[in-house]
Amino acid sequence: MVSVLDIKVLRDIWSMRLQVLSIAMLVAAGVAVFVMSVSNYRALVGAMENHYRNERFADLFAGMTRAPLVIADRLREIDGIGIVEPRVAKPVRIIREDTNLPISGRIISLPADGQPLLNRLHLVQGRWPDPFHPEEVIINAAYAEARAVRMGDPIEVVLNGRLQDFRVVGSALSPEFVFATRSAVPLPDDRNFVVLWAGEDAVASAFDMKGAFNDVAMTIAPGASVQHVLEEVDRLLAPYGGTGAYDRGDQPSHRFLEDELAEQETLSIFMPSVFFGIAAFLLNVVIGRMVEAQRGQIASLKALGFANGTIALHYFKLVTAIALVGSAAGLVLGCWFAVGVVGSYRAFFRFPSLEARFEPWLLVAATLVSIVAANLAAATSVYRIAVLPPAEAMRPATPPALQTFAWLQTMGNRVIPLQYIIAARTTLGRPIRTLFSTIGIALAIPLILFGLYWFDAIDYMIDVSFSRVERGDAFLTFTEPVSTDARYELMALPGVLNAELQRVVPVRLRAGYRTYRTSAIGLDPGSELKIPRDKALQPISVPADGIMLSRQIAGQLDLHVGDRVSIEVLEGTRVVKDVIVRRISDDILGSSVTMDRSALNRVMKEGPVANVAALRIDPAQSELVWSRIKSMPRIEGSSVKALWLSLFSDTIGGMVLIGALILAGFGMLIAIGVVYNSARIALQERAWELAGLRIVGLTRHEVSAVVVSELVAELVVAIPLGLLIGRYLIELIASARASQSFQIPAVIDPSSYVIASVLVIAAAFASFIMIRRRIDALDLVAVLKTRD
Amino acid sequence: MQAYEREAESSANVPPAPVFVARGLTKVYGSGDSQVTALKNVDLDIRQGEFIVLLGPSGSGKSTLLNILGGLDAPTSGSAKWRDHQLTGAGDDELTTYRREHVGFVFQFYNLIPSLSVEENVRLVAQIASDPMDPRQALELVGLSHRARHFPSQLSGGEQQRVAVARAIVKRPDILLCDEPTGALDVDTGRMVLAAIAKVNAQLGTTTIVITHNSAIAGMADRVLRLSGGRIVKEEPNPNRIAADDVQW
Repeated sequence: MVSVLDIKVLRDIWSMRLQVLSIAMLVAAGVAVFVMSVSNYRALVGAMENHYRNERFADLFAGMTRAPLVIADRLREIDGIGIVEPRVAKPVRIIREDTNLPISGRIISLPADGQPLLNRLHLVQGRWPDPFHPEEVIINAAYAEARAVRMGDPIEVVLNGRLQDFRVVGSALSPEFVFATRSAVPLPDDRNFVVLWAGEDAVASAFDMKGAFNDVAMTIAPGASVQHVLEEVDRLLAPYGGTGAYDRGDQPSHRFLEDELAEQETLSIFMPSVFFGIAAFLLNVVIGRMVEAQRGQIASLKALGFANGTIALHYFKLVTAIALVGSAAGLVLGCWFAVGVVGSYRAFFRFPSLEARFEPWLLVAATLVSIVAANLAAATSVYRIAVLPPAEAMRPATPPALQTFAWLQTMGNRVIPLQYIIAARTTLGRPIRTLFSTIGIALAIPLILFGLYWFDAIDYMIDVSFSRVERGDAFLTFTEPVSTDARYELMALPGVLNAELQRVVPVRLRAGYRTYRTSAIGLDPGSELKIPRDKALQPISVPADGIMLSRQIAGQLDLHVGDRVSIEVLEGTRVVKDVIVRRISDDILGSSVTMDRSALNRVMKEGPVANVAALRIDPAQSELVWSRIKSMPRIEGSSVKALWLSLFSDTIGGMVLIGALILAGFGMLIAIGVVYNSARIALQERAWELAGLRIVGLTRHEVSAVVVSELVAELVVAIPLGLLIGRYLIELIASARASQSFQIPAVIDPSSYVIASVLVIAAAFASFIMIRRRIDALDLVAVLKTRD
Repeated sequence: MQAYEREAESSANVPPAPVFVARGLTKVYGSGDSQVTALKNVDLDIRQGEFIVLLGPSGSGKSTLLNILGGLDAPTSGSAKWRDHQLTGAGDDELTTYRREHVGFVFQFYNLIPSLSVEENVRLVAQIASDPMDPRQALELVGLSHRARHFPSQLSGGEQQRVAVARAIVKRPDILLCDEPTGALDVDTGRMVLAAIAKVNAQLGTTTIVITHNSAIAGMADRVLRLSGGRIVKEEPNPNRIAADDVQW
């Protein structure tokens, strides 16, 4: 038989259904955000691990000018090396009829028998090239999709200065090119960068590499010292023009992926945890007050002889039921959103399989946390009431120390209407309660800001990176260093408003035992198309000698202005030189080493040459410009800022913003839940008093003013407090994670503050309407019959 | 004291025209099987300045009748009128105005606002009345001037009830409605509260209706109405009113 107390649980839930719903909503929002975010992050990490394992992603990589294949056997003999996969990998250029933009690419040789041992391909479409048809190639799936390449399509490739026709027979994913980027471009550009895999005979003969290789992928034996192996490889390859061996940490795709995952971790673990924590705190406040409001009932149950344990169990059931309803809704919502968001990741993260992962522990943990948080609050309140003698508990809670606020009496004389004095005394007379409910409302604001912040941060990143730092409209890379006359050649093109040359070389910085692979960029003094800036966005001039480091690199290498760092050029003669760190720049996108171009030329022991050009182009004549550039044989590739920008907002933007939108939405739900509950409970506790005011003749409006003015007072404090807390938490989150490719700034636009405040005020306004309805419906007669 | 004695002379004898006129008042709560008829076809006339005591067991309809006369409840059928105010069929705003301008209430459980001091509780009503007396005068009338700055929680039950009386009369109400004003009090405190009510009735000429279980209080009334089963079963004029101090129970 169902016990009467259990019937009471059901009736209480029904009679408080709106309140129960708003609490459940709070739980649901916390659980949903948590489940969604953690699942998504786990899905990404899981997909990466699977891809790396299934396709045998190499541990070490090295490039060189040309080494005979016998050197591969020598590499195998190095202690600590596992598999060695020699290959030919070279930059190429693609010609397409439908675009004037130069498309750059990389061609990689495939062993005669198909799959390589390492960095295997996951075929998405088509088939493997036939060894008897050297013109058949596999291309990376991202490019195939971006350019709508069909199987069987011809592809014109410029190899080693010679145009050669290939035919696409397959598209594939590779763990080496989850993000396909070429150096000096921090973002993947799938439309203008292609990876081709062709039979080794075809590639080797095009580059005169028969019986030789210029690139090698290796695995490392378990327990071997990476540093030792890298040194041995470098030593062995040095006579063959080795450009320095490196591990996954310096592999461009993996580095970008790691940074991306670090950002995702911030968005997916840290922020939702804070979000969930706040939701749990609010749950605590709301449930605590709900139980407090049942003080009389608890006392009556005690008076009737119910043991504290029985009463506690009763509330445990009530609160757990609410938490379960909320968790269930949260789990469903969370899983649903997770599937949607993971879908949006697929366009960005190129994994063979990327599915939302719902690990049982996660679902159980989220539910348990909600139940525990809710019950902790309930237990505290039940205990506080249960320890009182029933007779005392049956009376309303001791009024606060009102005498303290007797000054309101003199001040209030005829000046302030008494309903406001009632509100003021209630607010000030119960400081702890007022504080909690104010903090509760305040904490709703960061939850909304968490979502809005990402929009601001991305806008800011775009603004700073693409209109203040990188000021060129397009960038060209040359096949080999060109003399500075190239600048005049480019400036002479109709439609080119400005052109500046840069020297970009791959380097390895070494400070003590720490190393960092990146590109050194040589800029001319007074460069206008790339302006390094400091934190306050003020331009920093490039030092005439020595180097300027981005703050991320300086941090990683523990370098400060004035320190000496060894710079090792990873091409040509592999010059190593000690230079002095002269300045630190604050890069948001990418991490760079910047030098004066002449200084870099001196380090390289070369004349005044450059290999990259930044252009400012008249938009009206851009087609003309590109058609002229297309016919320049020395141009290897290009990137166009406008395309970058759309890429940025389509991929990173789109991906982050979906999560942000969901976060902001749930933040809003929580805000409404908290404000509504505050008002609802205030009303519940005061129904008797308010009805009394109505009876003596105060209008509904005057009576509403009592509760509304209390809520307004709390809002006035809560909103600025919430904005401050939000700002602080966002700074904390942003500083907790500064990756190498990205520096998501703690920038909050004033409009976001306004939106968050307006939303909370709107939630409050909705609550005011609800209060007014309740006051209108107060049963004046019933009030006369009971003491409380 | 002159201000609130202006109508005193009219309370000495029964004035000619009734101020309250109720005809066929019926109040039914609930519906179907759970239907309860609280008032059945009650007719009633009350004259200006009368001191009426409503007597009867629980459930006899006393409170329902009082609530309808006070504008807190509406009858299911029948009509009730106070002077030119039609109480039946009036909207909430009209009833609020009626209570605000004309009615003072005293309840069994005082219903004071805990966060307002004694003086403020009284002033709360003075603030919304059109021609109130000084709140301190109202407190003086119930003998509580010295407690003006205390809060309700610092007063005894009897004192709280007297504050409720002061709060009810500060607006110089035309009608004072008291529902079991001594129900929660001991004899001595109860007498003090009754004395305050009688004083207001006598000095301000306020039409006063008191509900009680306690037939001893009936001795203070001009007229006693006995209710049972939702009807007025007996009406007893009382030519020899006694003072509150002489009430025994």
